[in-house]
Amino acid sequence: MDLTLVDEAKRKVRPPKRDWILLPLISLLTVCLLAGSTELLARRLFPEMATEGEDCMIFTDPVSGARGIPNSVCWEKIPEGELTEYQFNRCGHRAGMECGPKPPGTFRIVMIGTSFAIGMRVPREQTFAALLPVELSRRTGLKVQLYNEAIPFKLPDTIAAHFDEALEAKPDMILWALNSSDIHTQSQVAVLPAPASVRNLSLLMRLRSHLKTIFAAKSFAASVTAAFSSTRSATMLSHFLYESRSQYVKSTLMEDDDKVGYLKTEQSEGWQKRLSEFDRDAARIEAQAKAAGVPLVVVLLPNRAQAAMISMGQWPPGIDPYKLDEQMRSIITSHGGTYIDMLTDVRTIPDPQLGYFPVEGHPNGRGHGMFTALLASELTSGAVPALKATSPSQTASKQSE
Amino acid sequence: MTMDTASFQFLLFGLGVALISNISRSSAWRSAVLLVASIVFLGLLAPNPIVLLPLIGFLLFGFAELVLIERGWSGSLAWSVLGTVFVYVWLKKYTFLPEKIFLHSPYFTLGLSYIFFRVLHLLIEAKDRPGQRQVGVVAYLLYNLNFTTFISGPIQRYDDFAEGQFAADPVALGPGVIGLQLERIVRGLFKVNVLAMLFDIVRTDAYSRISQSLPLPPPLKLYAVFLLLTSYPLFLYANFSGYIDIVIALARLMRLRLPENFDRPFSASSALDFWNRWHMTLSNWLKAYVYNPLLLTLMRRISSPGLEPLLGVFCFFVTFFLIGVWHGRTTEFVVFGVLTGGGMSINKLWQLGLTRAMGRKSYKKLSNNDLYNALGRGLNFIWFGFTLFWFWADWSRIDRIFHALSLGQWLGVLTGSWLLATVALASWEWLRAALLSITAFQQPLLTSRYARTVYATALGIVSLVVTTALNQPAPAIVYKVF
Repeated sequence: MDLTLVDEAKRKVRPPKRDWILLPLISLLTVCLLAGSTELLARRLFPEMATEGEDCMIFTDPVSGARGIPNSVCWEKIPEGELTEYQFNRCGHRAGMECGPKPPGTFRIVMIGTSFAIGMRVPREQTFAALLPVELSRRTGLKVQLYNEAIPFKLPDTIAAHFDEALEAKPDMILWALNSSDIHTQSQVAVLPAPASVRNLSLLMRLRSHLKTIFAAKSFAASVTAAFSSTRSATMLSHFLYESRSQYVKSTLMEDDDKVGYLKTEQSEGWQKRLSEFDRDAARIEAQAKAAGVPLVVVLLPNRAQAAMISMGQWPPGIDPYKLDEQMRSIITSHGGTYIDMLTDVRTIPDPQLGYFPVEGHPNGRGHGMFTALLASELTSGAVPALKATSPSQTASKQSE
Repeated sequence: MTMDTASFQFLLFGLGVALISNISRSSAWRSAVLLVASIVFLGLLAPNPIVLLPLIGFLLFGFAELVLIERGWSGSLAWSVLGTVFVYVWLKKYTFLPEKIFLHSPYFTLGLSYIFFRVLHLLIEAKDRPGQRQVGVVAYLLYNLNFTTFISGPIQRYDDFAEGQFAADPVALGPGVIGLQLERIVRGLFKVNVLAMLFDIVRTDAYSRISQSLPLPPPLKLYAVFLLLTSYPLFLYANFSGYIDIVIALARLMRLRLPENFDRPFSASSALDFWNRWHMTLSNWLKAYVYNPLLLTLMRRISSPGLEPLLGVFCFFVTFFLIGVWHGRTTEFVVFGVLTGGGMSINKLWQLGLTRAMGRKSYKKLSNNDLYNALGRGLNFIWFGFTLFWFWADWSRIDRIFHALSLGQWLGVLTGSWLLATVALASWEWLRAALLSITAFQQPLLTSRYARTVYATALGIVSLVVTTALNQPAPAIVYKVF
């Protein structure tokens, strides 16, 4: 029988007066101890550096748009990730090489895109930008080089306005690696990283500045939620909960339309407007590529929610993880570009959702490895004639993967 | 507003009602508050009053029958019971009835099952005690619409309800009792919003592994089936008993005692014992109104002493088959009923067989043996988990689950799960007993109010943090749909 009932008889005796002070104090002490010890444990298990990769980037330059700071080096360690170096060359690209003319006899791919393409939160040598040329060279026998011009928050309109930068590198092919956030402009403005000047303050001053920002903008309940979300305990808890793909999908689908509208079979007016803006920018980009005679290949890199749903093979009614992929294909091919489909191949990968940081959301090293395998397979399958796998052994090895 | 679950809105509503209810101890005031609160609660659940019409009709129909029986219209009980059962089955759209006779516009059926049990109870009791008790319309509505028991029970006897609700001197409510109820509410929130949610994640992920198109290596498949088998009983317990904890505590804060619905069911060492501890108010109801009358009738008609024990076995089957069928309208629940009733009957036969083979004394000795009880506990848990496949999954899912493994693998996973459950449950029993035996200042340490304050605060913080981190509505209460 429940202990509450057993004890009810005993509790009929009025508790001593000291309990009116003692019990709330015990309760308060428990809250403090529990919160403090959990936060300490979380900070030990999920350490973070005060600096970020974004410190080497400028996002608000009205002339160039988002760009890397030339010849800069930054370090970061996000709670879920490993120590990562961001080294930018004299052109402000995280390319792993200097900018300049391509070496003779090289098939040069210039990659444009945003945070997934640049390999945010992952050491460069683990990114698909570094792994893909090696794999393509192996499969095609060509000497393939990939020059990475991607930069976070460099949205399609900025890419269209500065497309000459991509053409300057004299590419044999341009790979535009998109992800759902690239058609997601409004919320991205809201999550632009805090300036380094704020992050360089002392812990107390930072906390004060942080709380001031939170409580100034929202209701009390929403502010408390936001304040909790910024603790390391929240990161740790969410990390463990989001390791479950079903829970991650459930939580993601609870987000507002601005963030997950692209997954809906019936998209909102806002999303349709965004897609028509994307259509306009894609048309400008493709026209410039065509005029320069450079093939443009576009791919939508799946995010964690799409990967999780596709691997489970089930999603709620009114949701379609392939929806955006189909829309991208339709837009890109309507302007004469080449679109390669990665999403349908995701179902052949065991646990693809493990290829992402559960809370932070970017692909991790495993995810970049997955992208490399899928992209290499698609690019050498004949979608890009110059990269078609040539020998039967190469084809066989491709099939075995 | 999510009022049909263990949400913070429901909790605030309940606490607010309890506060207002305690302004006066008079029965009239408390009844008025409960009636208004229950009507408001119903309004919050169904903002469009039109959808409530069938439910209101069912209530009126029940009341009219009750008045007839109370006025001594003899012979009307059987027709009343049959009529009530038919209207219930019709409103719940049981699939064995032709589709065309159903109402086709959407309507509200939440709470209907529990009203059904309460109405039948009133009708049967009125017949047994003619002229002794008159249930007025207000008392009838209070009893049936009480917002604390409306969604998922517990099913309270009318006399117990009336004794608490209409007492001139209601049960005492001091600071100690309030503290205990608040602790119970926190525990309920933790069970529903944290424990049940975690077990549901485990089950959903395990099922998605079995059903994914990519083939799963055999060890992972066995593990997924093991998780499916063991996670759902724990989920269901946390989900249902957590909600019951909350409503019992809220009612107690309104000076109303509700019956307990759970008594540590997984410590039961047999199916027979389990159903004395799981959804107790439902099984007690069915024992009172199905098992006992059926057994008496059969014993009157079949006078062979040799057959007498077997009549009990048969009555157990019928009673627990009905429990299974009550849970849902589809054929899956018929199988659930057959398995539940079958399990109970086999358990009873096992008891009878062993008593006959070993003798009463030796059997009693065996049933007090720790190892025997531990194995029985594990077996009962796994059997319950196995029968629950027909409770939560539809035929296509059941087909997928059963085709995931070969017969040999199934036997292996069932045996392995049984042994693991035996060890885990025995360890839990031992740990619990050990913790409760710790004393300080000549008192049990962990049940002292100081330790319980720490425990309740910790559970409350964890519930709050998990709810905030997930940013999701409170999980649905499984039993609300039955």
